[in-house]
Amino acid sequence: MSDQMKKAPYVVPIGPIHPALKEPVQFLFDVEGEVVKKADFAPGQTHRGIEWMGMRRNPVQIIHMTDRICGICGVTHSFAFARAVEQIVDIEVPPHAEYIRVIIAEFERIQSHLLWAGVAAHELGFDTLFYLAWRVREEAMDVIEYITGNRVNYGLIQVGGVRRDITPEQHPTIQKCLDGYRDLLGKMLNLFLHDTTISIRCKDCGLLSFEQALNLCTVGPTARASGVMKDVRFDYPYSAYGDLDITPILPSAYGGEINGDVYDRIVVRLLEVAQSIEIIETCLKEMPDGPILWEPKLPKLLSACKKAHGEAVGRHEAPRGECLHYVAMDGHDAPAMWKVKASSYSNLHAWIPMLEGEQLADVPIIVASIDPCLSCTDRVAVIRGTKRDLLTKEDLHRLSVEKTRRIQGC
Amino acid sequence: MNETILTPEELVDRLRTTFGDVVTDPRIVTRAEGAKKNPNTNVWMTITRDSLKPVIRHLMEITYPHLSVISGWDVGEELRMQYIFSIYFGNHHGEYMVIFTVPLAKNDLNIPTISDLIPGALFTEREKQEMFGVKVTDIPDGRRLFLPEDFPEGVYPLRKDETGVPDSMIKHLWQVKRPTDRPAPPVTEKEENSPSKEVKSDE
Amino acid sequence: MLTIEMILMTVAAAVVLSVLGIAFGLLLLGIDRRVSARMQARIGPPLSQPYIDLKKLLSKENIIPENAVASIFNAAPIIALASSLIVLLYLPIGSMMPVLGGYGDLILVMYLLAVPALAMVAGGFASGSPYATIGAQREMVSMIAYELPLASIVIAVAWLLYSSGITDPFALSSVVANPVWTMVGPLGMVGLFVLLLTFAWVSPAELSKIPFDTPEAETELAGGILVEYSGKNLGLFTVAQGVKTLVMGGLAVAIFFPWNISPLLGLTSYAAMAVDAIFFFLKVIILMILSVTVIRTGLARFRITHVVTLFWVYLGLAGLFGLSLVILDSVLMGGF
Repeated sequence: MSDQMKKAPYVVPIGPIHPALKEPVQFLFDVEGEVVKKADFAPGQTHRGIEWMGMRRNPVQIIHMTDRICGICGVTHSFAFARAVEQIVDIEVPPHAEYIRVIIAEFERIQSHLLWAGVAAHELGFDTLFYLAWRVREEAMDVIEYITGNRVNYGLIQVGGVRRDITPEQHPTIQKCLDGYRDLLGKMLNLFLHDTTISIRCKDCGLLSFEQALNLCTVGPTARASGVMKDVRFDYPYSAYGDLDITPILPSAYGGEINGDVYDRIVVRLLEVAQSIEIIETCLKEMPDGPILWEPKLPKLLSACKKAHGEAVGRHEAPRGECLHYVAMDGHDAPAMWKVKASSYSNLHAWIPMLEGEQLADVPIIVASIDPCLSCTDRVAVIRGTKRDLLTKEDLHRLSVEKTRRIQGC
Repeated sequence: MNETILTPEELVDRLRTTFGDVVTDPRIVTRAEGAKKNPNTNVWMTITRDSLKPVIRHLMEITYPHLSVISGWDVGEELRMQYIFSIYFGNHHGEYMVIFTVPLAKNDLNIPTISDLIPGALFTEREKQEMFGVKVTDIPDGRRLFLPEDFPEGVYPLRKDETGVPDSMIKHLWQVKRPTDRPAPPVTEKEENSPSKEVKSDE
Repeated sequence: MLTIEMILMTVAAAVVLSVLGIAFGLLLLGIDRRVSARMQARIGPPLSQPYIDLKKLLSKENIIPENAVASIFNAAPIIALASSLIVLLYLPIGSMMPVLGGYGDLILVMYLLAVPALAMVAGGFASGSPYATIGAQREMVSMIAYELPLASIVIAVAWLLYSSGITDPFALSSVVANPVWTMVGPLGMVGLFVLLLTFAWVSPAELSKIPFDTPEAETELAGGILVEYSGKNLGLFTVAQGVKTLVMGGLAVAIFFPWNISPLLGLTSYAAMAVDAIFFFLKVIILMILSVTVIRTGLARFRITHVVTLFWVYLGLAGLFGLSLVILDSVLMGGF
């Protein structure tokens, strides 16, 4: 055994690849017994240089690249980027399209929060709840596929509008999914918030005080769980959110005090699922008629973008908080500058005060604000009865196209 | 917090009266979206490097701002740093964005840290150091953030001059072929009797 | 007294029982996974999955980390498996008396139960990985924690037998021959029931299952004690885990549910032994599902501090409470 091992505190590395992490990031913990004395982390393990790539592409190309920044927020980055470009080029988005954008963004919030809930349960070692959360998440995924044709990378948002309409014939299917969630939510709240093992693991764990949340510039449910009233949808009228009556959800909405612990973050996220259901219903009801695009012809759109000069900031409240794109254009095809500020970018720093002084056992659940990315595998073996098939990438593609067609009924 | 809420115009006036000529080119951009056309506002201002900390300290006296990010823009002769804030969050439709642009001459890329005022700024300041080659003076933690440790010194990916990413570091995917120095994959593909044959036909 | 035949018989019986124990232990793991999957609305793996896993593991090479103590690292899985098998030889299976019945008693079984865990701790410390070191520390802490409730159960049983004037109260054969429930009054029944519940909570801890799987804690320690183990060594640990599951179930059956079915069916000789063995395994399966599968499916993982509090305070008190009820009962009964 090396000398380093015998010394206390010793360093426990978590990551870049570790079961507690769904995306690569490296943590180094100085541990004394079971207690984390000092925490540090190094992001950027999979930095892809997307901004650099974007500054060599035109806005319509970038909008499809923004879909792929995150595997969960397929619409968030496109939304924020489209808003920034629309401000520079001075595009007025048809209100019909704004409502569609909001509907898909809220569905994304539902599926993202449910995914998070499942991951959180798994990090606590509660796999039964993990399976439940991910199973019910499929309903939202199916509706997203029904609307956009894809489970991830929706490709729905275009500069100046959306690429696919939501027609009145589609409303009943969407409504059915929402009703299902409304029935289910009480059960989910009960399972997550009244389970003794979850309570003892999550209460007073990973504390982030109001001041810390404010000073460290946190956003989204992380900030709201610490009592910071901050929700772009409420603060800043943009897209169709300006028409809606939205109140930021603080943990006090579920009775109880605001502690800023992991439990409060669960409360906020689960209640936001309920809020999203309301928002989608309102949007479906109040959606005005009209076109879905400012300019359906791409060459015209691109030439308008090419003429534009200026800089703008596009924001959107992603499931994890404020997502911000800064775009500057100077009369070329490609933007002169593009800065992506994802929501987790603002929240990562909060890990350090949350983690220090905590038990090692609580590290995964505290870190769990990171979301997993599920990538398609090249091939999958399927066993049904005794017949064994090996599916190739082509088979999987064919099956997924068939399923989308089945869902969309065409 | 029982604070008086300044409108964007009042904020610009107040900063201009307090700091004088330091604040230039103020723009108030209002935009209305959605069906009801509720307006949202962004305030853009250019300030000098020396006034950065006093201005932010003054802004913090008015209300605690949320720093979203510090962005940069290499416009050729100078480097612009944008400090993107939003203030008055928590008020229904009351929030607006305040963006301070700080131009820096290319031969003197230093900027004071604001992480002593807003601790959360450290993250994005570290990123600006490695991506733009700006030296943030008095930064408490000057390590790299996203770039790997073996990334060459003196290369700043988001710069557009000779310190940007050189062509020699760019690997175009469409030019990359299958590596030749690796052993062949141990698993051989099964070709015959595979049900995937049928799929190929309808492609 | 010891003839060559007897020794040969014992050895042969031990070998047969070990092979059966391994096979059945792995089946138990398969049942556990399958039932748990069904409770989570999944299909789950086939019952043969542990055998398939084992076959794969045994065909792989052992990877020994550079800064591991190779001798201890490699010895740990063998010791774990051997000690779990030895406990099995002390257990009565149905109407068949324990193979090594004459050479040890309940106290020895208790000590032997601690050996696989100790082997894992040694292996964990020898791995030279911080994850394994933390896992090993946790395993030691939880071992110390669950010994107290386990001891109170054993003492209660022995006290009962002793106070009823049975010679050799610690021998497992006398425990089986005298079902504990028949020897107590209503108060003792309550006490025994409390002890039974305590035992149901000790079992998952002994087997390192959720909520007591802190030493292996997949999400934070990536497997903890076992993180550096691979190939054949990991396979041996898997087998040891299966045998331990069987042993814990068998112990529960021997202490609390020793009844056999052959007298009811009027069978004798080998037929009786076979039927009783099958009945014994059924009892073990049911007990394991109740005390391992259901608990692990329905709960989240505890922190190590919770494990200690639970066992020392709540279950320790429950164990002592059960024990005192049993003693009180036997004193009252003796008084009449």
